[in-house]
Amino acid sequence: MEQNRIILHIDMNAFFASVEQQSNPALSGKPVAVIGAAKRTIITTCSYEARAFGVKTGMNSWEARQKCPQLIFVVGNNRKYSYTSKQIIAIMRQYTPQVEVFSIDEAFLDVTASLSLFGSAEKIAHLIKLQIRERFGLTCSVGIAPNKLLAKLASDMQKPDGLTIIEPEKVAQVMERLPIQALCGIGAKMQQHLTKFGIKTCGELGRFPVETLRKHFGVTGERLHFMGLGVDDSPVVPEDEAEEVKSVGHSTTLDRDITDRSEILLQLLQLSEMVGRRARKYQVTGRTVTLTVRYADFTTFSKQQSRGDYTNNSEEIYRAAVKILDTLDLTQPVRLLGVKITNLRHHTEQLPLFAEERKKALVASAMDDVNNKFGDFAVTFGSLIGKEKGAKVISPAWRPEGVRNVDAD
Amino acid sequence: MQPVAESIRVAAIFTPGTQIKPVWFEWRCRKHAIAATSYFWKDSLGAATRLHFAVSDGSNLFELMFDTSDQSWTLVGVEAQ
Repeated sequence: MEQNRIILHIDMNAFFASVEQQSNPALSGKPVAVIGAAKRTIITTCSYEARAFGVKTGMNSWEARQKCPQLIFVVGNNRKYSYTSKQIIAIMRQYTPQVEVFSIDEAFLDVTASLSLFGSAEKIAHLIKLQIRERFGLTCSVGIAPNKLLAKLASDMQKPDGLTIIEPEKVAQVMERLPIQALCGIGAKMQQHLTKFGIKTCGELGRFPVETLRKHFGVTGERLHFMGLGVDDSPVVPEDEAEEVKSVGHSTTLDRDITDRSEILLQLLQLSEMVGRRARKYQVTGRTVTLTVRYADFTTFSKQQSRGDYTNNSEEIYRAAVKILDTLDLTQPVRLLGVKITNLRHHTEQLPLFAEERKKALVASAMDDVNNKFGDFAVTFGSLIGKEKGAKVISPAWRPEGVRNVDAD
Repeated sequence: MQPVAESIRVAAIFTPGTQIKPVWFEWRCRKHAIAATSYFWKDSLGAATRLHFAVSDGSNLFELMFDTSDQSWTLVGVEAQ
């Protein structure tokens, strides 16, 4: 690992809500919440004006309205956010090719090799902030640090529109009193575990005997130790250098909880078609199909089944998902369904041996050609005709490019 | 924004390069001069690239869409302020 790295973490401020405020100047300075068009939806992002009232991502509209009666709900526009995100990433790539898109509104940049071209990391950060503001009227917070862990921490320190630098010599000082939950990767559960050991700050985590952490958390224990010290060797990985994707999947929260098997089957067919279509687009086939079901009480489970051969045929994925469904005893109404293929093989397209298989592949290919020309679901299975789709807002964790933009529920 | 989805007549300036600036449009027998374009984005429907413009006539917000495949303009939605 190269020493003395300089990493930027760029985090767009209230991204979806800010885009809506720019699109509609009448919303500027007002509490705005972005929601989906589906009947059952939650707040995906809200403006800083709404946050001041206690409105948060994940709240349902009723809860949010209780906190802020004057809250303005705006139905999100995935395509607008996706386009803006791609343009912003293009701006970042003017300063370094080492850009790792972490989500639709966040990215890491390794600018170590670009410093001699632009002067300093601070200058690069200012130039990027300026370009994003001039082009889209949007603000972002930037963290500059020797690694990704600290850069992300730094970008969180001043929001909105901040710029925070953590110098290498100040790392120990910054970490000493920092609560462990401020670190990316330490969730509520891990925080609970660590608190049992009396660890509340990163300083305490870094000093805690690594052997004890390793004994309790395995490999993660060692990583936790280094996180406490502010050490992170993970590289910034651009999309084209990233490891091959391990799964292709889609899930959807239903408009209402359903118990009717025929409705469940329709949802599975639609999800299987979405999975199959993307798998064919990126030329991957999978041997294992996974079905995920979330019940009305939010208990979620996944069950998988491996096939004898690899497939990216929507109908075969659907049949495998139904086979799994048949083994389940659905005890409650269903809230969410997901279909995924794993055990992937990449770029291995070959003409199927048997006539029936060849016919299926040709039909799928012809359907893809039509859908590529006229839009998704222009040609689809008869039972899916007229079925609504795309009413949901993408999660901010979604990535706008590549086969990795999976599970956009 | 209230969805509309109506074909409309638009006057636009196509500047050298790729920029398009809508200047006015007619909707329901009324001409709306565009006072400001507050946002622009692109998307695609199948092979067709579509350009979206959030524009204001000074009092209301409109979303106009230019479909590059058939050079047509659509009023996608209106938001009365």
